[in-house]
Amino acid sequence: MEMYLYVIIALAIIFGLYMAWGIGANDVANAMGTSVGSGALTLRRAVIIAAILEFSGAFLAGTHVSETVRKGIVDPAIFANDGLSFMLGMLSALLAAGVWLQIASWKGWPVSTTHSIVGSVVGFGAVYGGINAVHWDKVGQIAASWIISPLLSATISYFIFTFILRAIFYDARPLRSAKKIAPYLVFVVITMLSLTMAFKGLKNLKLDLSLPAAFGVASCVGLVAAIISVWLISKIKSEEDHGESEDKLTDPNVVKSLEKATKHLEKVHSTAPGHMKADISDTLDEVRRLRWESQRRYDFHTNSKEYQQVEKLFIYLQILSACFVAFAHGANDVANAIGPMSAVLSVAMAGGDSIAAKAPVPLWVLALGGIGIVVGLATWGWRVMETIGRKITHLTPTRGFSAEFGAATTIVIATKLGLPISTTHTLVGAVLGVGLARGIGAVNMGTIRDVVVSWVITIPAGAVLAIMFFYGLRMFF
Amino acid sequence: MRNIISVFGRSPFVPLQMHMEKVVECVEQIPIIIEVYRQGDCEKVESIAEKISKLEHKADLIKHDIRNSLPRGLFMPVDRSKLLKILSLQDGIANRAEDAAVLLTFKQAKSFGGFDAAFDVFMENCLATFNLSRNIIELLDELLETGFGGMEANKVNELIDKVALKEHEADVSQKELVRLLLANEDRISYGDFFLWTRVIQQVSGIADRSDKLAATIRNTLESR
Repeated sequence: MEMYLYVIIALAIIFGLYMAWGIGANDVANAMGTSVGSGALTLRRAVIIAAILEFSGAFLAGTHVSETVRKGIVDPAIFANDGLSFMLGMLSALLAAGVWLQIASWKGWPVSTTHSIVGSVVGFGAVYGGINAVHWDKVGQIAASWIISPLLSATISYFIFTFILRAIFYDARPLRSAKKIAPYLVFVVITMLSLTMAFKGLKNLKLDLSLPAAFGVASCVGLVAAIISVWLISKIKSEEDHGESEDKLTDPNVVKSLEKATKHLEKVHSTAPGHMKADISDTLDEVRRLRWESQRRYDFHTNSKEYQQVEKLFIYLQILSACFVAFAHGANDVANAIGPMSAVLSVAMAGGDSIAAKAPVPLWVLALGGIGIVVGLATWGWRVMETIGRKITHLTPTRGFSAEFGAATTIVIATKLGLPISTTHTLVGAVLGVGLARGIGAVNMGTIRDVVVSWVITIPAGAVLAIMFFYGLRMFF
Repeated sequence: MRNIISVFGRSPFVPLQMHMEKVVECVEQIPIIIEVYRQGDCEKVESIAEKISKLEHKADLIKHDIRNSLPRGLFMPVDRSKLLKILSLQDGIANRAEDAAVLLTFKQAKSFGGFDAAFDVFMENCLATFNLSRNIIELLDELLETGFGGMEANKVNELIDKVALKEHEADVSQKELVRLLLANEDRISYGDFFLWTRVIQQVSGIADRSDKLAATIRNTLESR
């Protein structure tokens, strides 16, 4: 291999890992933040679980979308005689997306990693290879999926939450019906999760199952999980019965007082003038945190209102749905880093001239992407998770479960179709769906505008930056 | 991730309950001012009326704040117009309390045998109606939890029925009171007669509005 190829490979790996790091640092919090906020998981556990599921999502199911980014958007055949340009193009796409995301997060703009990568790849492809180098039909599909995915996740979470309302909260004895329904929900979530892994997911482990076989395996796994959950749920009850004998970690009065303090602070916060507001919101965050900690300990020793117990039960279901989101997120978003990187690597490995369109994404590259995400999570993501977890007070476990289930299902479907979608926007759509089902006190309509702006701005910005970097890199090679 | 946090707007329920708290403080002064009025302590009546005025003004500030910052649109668990209606009804209650207090500062009206007792029954009924409605407002959080349906909604529906019943009782006692007042029109001056009828009107307005408040909340409940 020639010297310049080593340089290009090194650059591709560095940029790719940087992107993966960014994804792990910023986006993983979406999945686990709510569980940390509701006190279902400690921060440490959330980070560990997220790391495992993000990695397995990226490693086991990340192929489809990575393939799309690698060769579905720009036709590698157009570059058949000019492998160098193809490599440089993909490199500049990575670089452009990275730089654009940096600018956007510095300015506080709501942009998406997926959109910047797709925009960058389209940009360099269209300018260098000509309009025909871009698979416009595929790009059209991707663009359509960006509109459809929030709508779909909103629809799913709307129906899930409405179902929970009607089946549990409208029942005369909410806790009893929640206990009855929980195993079915466990079954659905686990089956979906294992179906994603089993159906064409384990190809990487040489375990390629057909759809009926995968479905059979998945429902068996789901059934086992549901049976375990039945046993666990019956255990919860007995714990409550014997709760009195255990030593109370927190005086109930402390919890009540903290609750009052929070309410009062919220009132102060909503009427205070600007300069006071910032100070008070800090205090409020602190008091809320204290309240959760005490509440969490206290909660398991009291039976107050029945639907609060329902929420307690849903804390565990929410952990499941959060795992589902983490897996789906890893599977879909790893492509943003790995797609262009593997495109560069496959050409470079083949000698730098010819384009091997057939070669699949190497396993070790997927693993590299997974590792990048995990490192991002470990170095920075936990901090984001802590903040987001503390700020989402409005999302109780039933709402969190509904939103996460809707989002994860949508992401998984898109992943199977090989469509790179924005996981954040999908989750926003899912939360709005819960809002539509009268589940949330107030929804800020501005976020919908933000999402649309993100579509409109990011793609041209990524494209322009990619073109600039492309011609810049050409001067060196 | 910023996106996820920014999805949540400011919930209107906390400010609404906060407004209600101020209204409660206004209404709570009514029995006190009546008590002091009967003792003939003009200065104290003045000071209590002023206190109610200030409380009503504070409630108004909260009201303006809510009106200015009420989130818009589709994604609200409760219709915006209904929220505004609830708010204006709450506001009306505070206004009635204030007006009644102000009327009492104008003149030391004379009472006669049996009137005070009948007035107490009437006032108690009105305030009881108000207290029931106020409980419903305090239940808004729980209603949100269950999506305005289910067990919690049934509980609220029962409360609303109780409000209607209490409001009816207030009406009945008002009729008796007015009948008593008219039967004794010769024993009091025209000014006193006028003042009492106005005070009765204002206090019964509290019960009326409380009933309407409850009915508005019933409209927001999900029918199943």
